[in-house]
Amino acid sequence: MDERELISRVRAGEPAAERALYDAHVDRVYRLAFRLAGDDELARDFTQETFIRAFDRLETFRGEARLSTWLHAVATTVALNGLRKVKRFRTRETALEAADGVAGSVRSAEPDLKIRLRDAIDALPRKYKAVVVMHDVEGYTHEEIAAALGVEVGTSKAQLSRARAKLRAALADFAGEWVS
Amino acid sequence: MNDDRFETQIREAARDYHRPPETPREEMWAAIDAERRRRRSAPRIPGLSPAWRWGIGMAAVLVLGIAIGRWIRPGVGGGPATPSASAASRSRVDVAYHLAAAQYLSRTEILLAGFRADARTGDRPDAQFLAQARDLLSSTRLLLDSPASQDPQLKPLLEDLEVVLAQIALLPTSRDTADVEIINQGIDQRSVLTRLRTAIPVGSAPARTQGVL
Repeated sequence: MDERELISRVRAGEPAAERALYDAHVDRVYRLAFRLAGDDELARDFTQETFIRAFDRLETFRGEARLSTWLHAVATTVALNGLRKVKRFRTRETALEAADGVAGSVRSAEPDLKIRLRDAIDALPRKYKAVVVMHDVEGYTHEEIAAALGVEVGTSKAQLSRARAKLRAALADFAGEWVS
Repeated sequence: MNDDRFETQIREAARDYHRPPETPREEMWAAIDAERRRRRSAPRIPGLSPAWRWGIGMAAVLVLGIAIGRWIRPGVGGGPATPSASAASRSRVDVAYHLAAAQYLSRTEILLAGFRADARTGDRPDAQFLAQARDLLSSTRLLLDSPASQDPQLKPLLEDLEVVLAQIALLPTSRDTADVEIINQGIDQRSVLTRLRTAIPVGSAPARTQGVL
């Protein structure tokens, strides 16, 4: 079944077609959601909401881009908006914990590059993080990223470049020779 | 270590960044199916998204404030008022408009502070945000048409806010980040946020954002 036929059958309300669409795309959507969220529960929530929205709004898909591009635009919107809300909630929680003097112990510096890199990526501004995760971690092209985030291809490239510069600076004490 | 080596190291290390487990495909499908069934069976009020409900609530507060103000205005709906009754009525009018304007100004401050914060991180406003800007723009025009605009300090602020909110509400027509920059320059040049915060009575805002930016 080609994509156009699949879409028309989903629009007609065929359960088997809905499941086929889900099966074709769920792995990549869930992987992206998990990479962005770093949390299984959140990744499941974001993935589920992505498909619920996609099924509800498939009527608005005009076929100008590939279905996967449209679906990933929905997924990144859901994940980034969801993370924004979670971040606000966690920021308030952290502030309350600090005020109560029950905050967890301060983590000592980790010598391991992967852990340092994880922390550095987590600390990136949200849009930079999305570009790094999509490009460097999940292998999306700049065209795919631009379509998903609603920006120009040049913006995606520029954001990746700035994000890498921030990562380099964040890891400077780990490997000082990286910084010229 | 040179740039290429750095990039290689980063890419290798990044593969383990939040490495996902196997996709819980059946569990998620069951949840999606259940939620869609629930939504289909739940009674729906068309068109009432959270942004709309928020906007309707705001408009209701404004309309109520303005209606109270007009109802209790001296000389409206009754005979000639005595001087002391007129003074009391004027006081009640002031309170009504004050309440409506304070609610509006607090919401606008939160929206503009959010707009500037998102601009700093390179985020574009989402559809819900833009819907709120349009609702606030409608409220601004309601206030400009009300006696609240006779306040010599409030009127120029409302006029500036009308311009800023209209610019934000029109953002979806362009993807260029330059327009966001222009709006922020306008906010800075006219000291809109500072004047807005000054105009909000102490303690009236549900969630003050001053100091965040």
